Amino acid sequence: MNIDLSRRGFLKLAGAGVAATSLGALGFGEAEAAELAHVRDFKLVATTETRNTCPYCSVACGIIIYAKPGDDGKRRVTHIEGDADHPVNRGTLCPKGAALKDFVNAENRLTQPMIRKPGATAFEPITWEDALDRIARALKDDRDANFLQTNEAGVPVNRWTTTGFLAASATTNETAYLTYKVVRSMGIVGFDNQARV
Amino acid sequence: MTDIQPQPDMIGGVPTPPLAVLPRPERLFRMRAERFEFLAQTATLAPYLTFLAALCRVQAGLAAALPAVAPVDSAVVDRARTAAMPPIDRDALVDDPLLGATLDALLAEARAIDMPAPARLALDALQAATTEDRRWLIGNVLDDSIPADSAAPHLFVAAAVQVHLARLAATLDAGRLVPIRTGVCPCCGGKPAASVVTGVMGAEGARYAACAGCQTLWNEVRLTCLACGTTKGIGFRAVEDAATGNTGAQIKAETCDGCGSWVKQMDQHKNPTLDPVADDVASLGLDALMKGEKWRRAGFDPFLIGY
Repeated sequence: MNIDLSRRGFLKLAGAGVAATSLGALGFGEAEAAELAHVRDFKLVATTETRNTCPYCSVACGIIIYAKPGDDGKRRVTHIEGDADHPVNRGTLCPKGAALKDFVNAENRLTQPMIRKPGATAFEPITWEDALDRIARALKDDRDANFLQTNEAGVPVNRWTTTGFLAASATTNETAYLTYKVVRSMGIVGFDNQARV
Repeated sequence: MTDIQPQPDMIGGVPTPPLAVLPRPERLFRMRAERFEFLAQTATLAPYLTFLAALCRVQAGLAAALPAVAPVDSAVVDRARTAAMPPIDRDALVDDPLLGATLDALLAEARAIDMPAPARLALDALQAATTEDRRWLIGNVLDDSIPADSAAPHLFVAAAVQVHLARLAATLDAGRLVPIRTGVCPCCGGKPAASVVTGVMGAEGARYAACAGCQTLWNEVRLTCLACGTTKGIGFRAVEDAATGNTGAQIKAETCDGCGSWVKQMDQHKNPTLDPVADDVASLGLDALMKGEKWRRAGFDPFLIGY
């Protein structure tokens, strides 16, 4: 540091000149040392707070998800609250949103695709690959069989009424746009959003 | 008839949190002194906390006793609004005679405080300081940059600057302030000491940064780095009691991987008595533990230089 002569005189008078903490410089070094010794028994734990959107309905309330490592070192959701900065809900949540933590940590939460085959009484796991193939096959077969190009009067309608589509709520505008285009392009009329569930 | 305007956003109980909460200087410094005294009852740092409590009592006394400051000129406020600049011009305050008088009064009052010899030495040197040295000290404090080799004299100067800035900020109209930039006080352009997540009615869960200079609380979006403004790579570090595994920490370090800095965030909605300055000093243990991490402290507190 570049200090002119007058200042050097002042610093000498003020007992300054050696880099120190506020406590050390003021003569509280003993208390500071005791505090530093005291905290050695403690450690820091990494926690996170993450912004997200409530998945329950199309109001799309902002939420903040709190997580910290569990005993196995894996991060676990410890708390979910409304995002006070979110213009939609300003920190508030409805009873469904307020119960989100239990939904995230639920024991019977669906974590992989499942199938209940015709006639079966229980669901069984299926890979994403197989699941998507089966869905595509079923959609194609149903559309080939039931797609209506024209109505009784011969007016082109291009509608497919035997399959419905239910979309989720926590999507971006882009996802919503693509979903709409895909579904309507196939002629699906029965199209609803999770918003009203 | 009244002139109360309808506030439809109050109907759902979800009003917009105000941009800024201006300080009430006498009350603020008195409550801070009380908080320091309370914390000193159990802390290892008790001698330092007791000293700062006495200093805050002096600040509160001055805030009440000094002649009222002239409000910031309305034209200056208008110009600041247009340019998104803080209405309190810190540069102009370096030679302000009122700030000088506040410093003189604080130094005189502080003599009565019981303090260790090095602190007394700094206080004596300050009272004998030349005009040039005083300008240097005040300038450093107003720049929010205190040289690490002279923390003691700057602490007393910072206490006086806090009183003056808070008294100036109290003359402003919070409704006429505009946000400047993330991490910059809309009143005086200062840095935050820490931030608090408030529980006050109408702003529950909103985060307010606490200005280290004028003591204004201003609204900042949570999970945003107060040093660089990014929202990416924000995490928290909290002190865990290894014996009990208790991590219910009310003061956490908000870390930013973008710029490598961290600022304390205090859960005032869980404990309304938390004070952004008093509890900043009292939670020195968090600073000590954070020194071993990769981030550097960005919260500015003239009472906690060197961390």
